[in-house]
Amino acid sequence: MHEITVALSLLDGVQATALEQGIERVSAVNVRVGALSGVVRDALLFSWDVASAETVAAGSELRIEEVPLVVFCERCEAQRAPLPGYGLVCPECGTPSPRIVSGREMQLVSMEVPA
Amino acid sequence: MKVRVVEIASNLMLKNDALAAKLRARFAESGTLVVNILSSPGSGKTTLLEETLRRLSGRYRAGALVGDQATENDALRLARSGAPVRQITTAAECRLDAGMISKALAQMEDQRFDVLFIENVGNLICPAEYDLGEDLRVVLLSVTEGEDKPLKYPLAFNTSQVVLVTKIDIAGAVGFDRAAAEQSIERVNPGVRVLEVSTRTGAGIDEWLALLEARIGAKALAPAR
Repeated sequence: MHEITVALSLLDGVQATALEQGIERVSAVNVRVGALSGVVRDALLFSWDVASAETVAAGSELRIEEVPLVVFCERCEAQRAPLPGYGLVCPECGTPSPRIVSGREMQLVSMEVPA
Repeated sequence: MKVRVVEIASNLMLKNDALAAKLRARFAESGTLVVNILSSPGSGKTTLLEETLRRLSGRYRAGALVGDQATENDALRLARSGAPVRQITTAAECRLDAGMISKALAQMEDQRFDVLFIENVGNLICPAEYDLGEDLRVVLLSVTEGEDKPLKYPLAFNTSQVVLVTKIDIAGAVGFDRAAAEQSIERVNPGVRVLEVSTRTGAGIDEWLALLEARIGAKALAPAR
């Protein structure tokens, strides 16, 4: 739903780094997006193409690493990956586990430039 | 093609989180309780706020910021309570962010509130990500929506401190399954405060106001000032 905003924020980061380091062309951008972030992969890819057109990152490939939802189960004392659609519940013992360890990420990791 | 990897490692929420921290410090200074209200479209955020502002008026300095993608209708409705209200029209944006809050506040004549309500854009996805410097995040679940909303939108419910089950007066008519809703909520935020309310019959509204007033009082006395 907010993919265009996410794409524009990514582009901000890419442009700032490019400017800082005198980079003229970016060929790929690596990002991490959590399962809970509400970002739809295809919509983000589309938004990226639109947002990056006529910039230093025009035509670049956006590589999205999807980070799964992981919570901490206090009963098992372990990190667990809840089943999608069942809430934040430990799949092993059924205990509600509201402590989110990962899955909220929206990170700009790195970019690749022609050497 | 040979490439070189340039590390960036930045979190996209950093900018918003930094602005939210500034807002939080400012509201600590002024002793203002900030309440961020989230829900799907049509769950009754504006109706609840109208009633809340009406009931608080004369006793507290209350203000409201209201976000919508288009129209000023909600602000016009809320302004009838007499409280200072500012509409934030977000256009393409599906949520409010901390920057929008700072900007809207700067445009308000009177900015010293005991309590400031922020009615977010009706949407349970994007608003959940954005810290607005609030003390209290409240999510509404109306009885017409389906009891599994918390499972579909876990983050909105997980990050809220209060869940208001709205339109409870028509629960019977729409076949609302209370136990199923409670179970869904419990699965994403066990132990969260849940209140059933109806602005039409007044059910639960006293409890909601008591909760707010306790928090307003605590904020005003907080040592951060």
